[in-house]
Amino acid sequence: MFKELDPILHSQLRLSVMSLLISVKEAEFTFIREKTNATAGNLSVQVNKLKEAGYIDVVKQFKDNYPQTVCKITPVGIAAFDEYVKNLQTYLRQ
Amino acid sequence: METPQMTREESLQIIQQMISTAKNEQKDDGKGWIVWGWLLFAASIFSFINVKISWLNPYFFWNVLGMATIVVRVAFFRNEQTVKTYTGELFKKLNIGFFISLVFIVLAININTLTPVGGFALLINLYGFWALIYGTALNFRPSVIAAFVTWALGFAALFVKTFDEIMLLHACAALAGFIIPGHIARKQFKQTGRENYNDIISV
Repeated sequence: MFKELDPILHSQLRLSVMSLLISVKEAEFTFIREKTNATAGNLSVQVNKLKEAGYIDVVKQFKDNYPQTVCKITPVGIAAFDEYVKNLQTYLRQ
Repeated sequence: METPQMTREESLQIIQQMISTAKNEQKDDGKGWIVWGWLLFAASIFSFINVKISWLNPYFFWNVLGMATIVVRVAFFRNEQTVKTYTGELFKKLNIGFFISLVFIVLAININTLTPVGGFALLINLYGFWALIYGTALNFRPSVIAAFVTWALGFAALFVKTFDEIMLLHACAALAGFIIPGHIARKQFKQTGRENYNDIISV
């Protein structure tokens, strides 16, 4: 019997964002958009969902007078990602 | 705006692809090593010639190097990163430690706590330390090898007596510790960039 995959993570863009953030300390919104090839609007919606789930922290600030959005994975996000990968591995081992 | 659902295989592929993308961000383009290495090399060689022909103050070119380093740092190495990686943060701290140690030794030479020859031997030793940590963190073998070559030169520097000889050894250390591994890193970085580009256009 397979475990249900986390619906928050089991979506292309949200999983891409989490996979990027798990590998770095923090990343700007522009960096994530560039690497995922997503539109700003769609990415913004998905980032918000991850934030609401407590998987990432989003900090909006100013840098050299320009607005900057910085995303960082949280310990809850790391645990959820870890669990998601374990469930995937279980499935693939069958 | 929901993103489409996917299979488990696709999930795994996305994870691998994104982690690999993030990994590429941790690669060093070698530009910093090359510029710093050539500046050191030039200062050493000009100082060697300067001492041989008794032209200017023996430290003239080292003073020029200090100013050139500040100009190059401000003009060409602005911090415009959109991502912070763990290795990037480590390198920031490593470079701070490196430059504090460097200033410490230069100051010790200037106030005669260290002889110039002894001071430059210590600097060569410091370059080896930097190269080892950098190479290990990046898993970049040329830099690890460079560290041991640089340390060998640092060891040889302990037996050197004159300023012109230490300048030659210092130039060799800049070549071995920064310039050669820097150019190899740059070549690999460009190669990786091309491969990534090919991956993107082949999708």
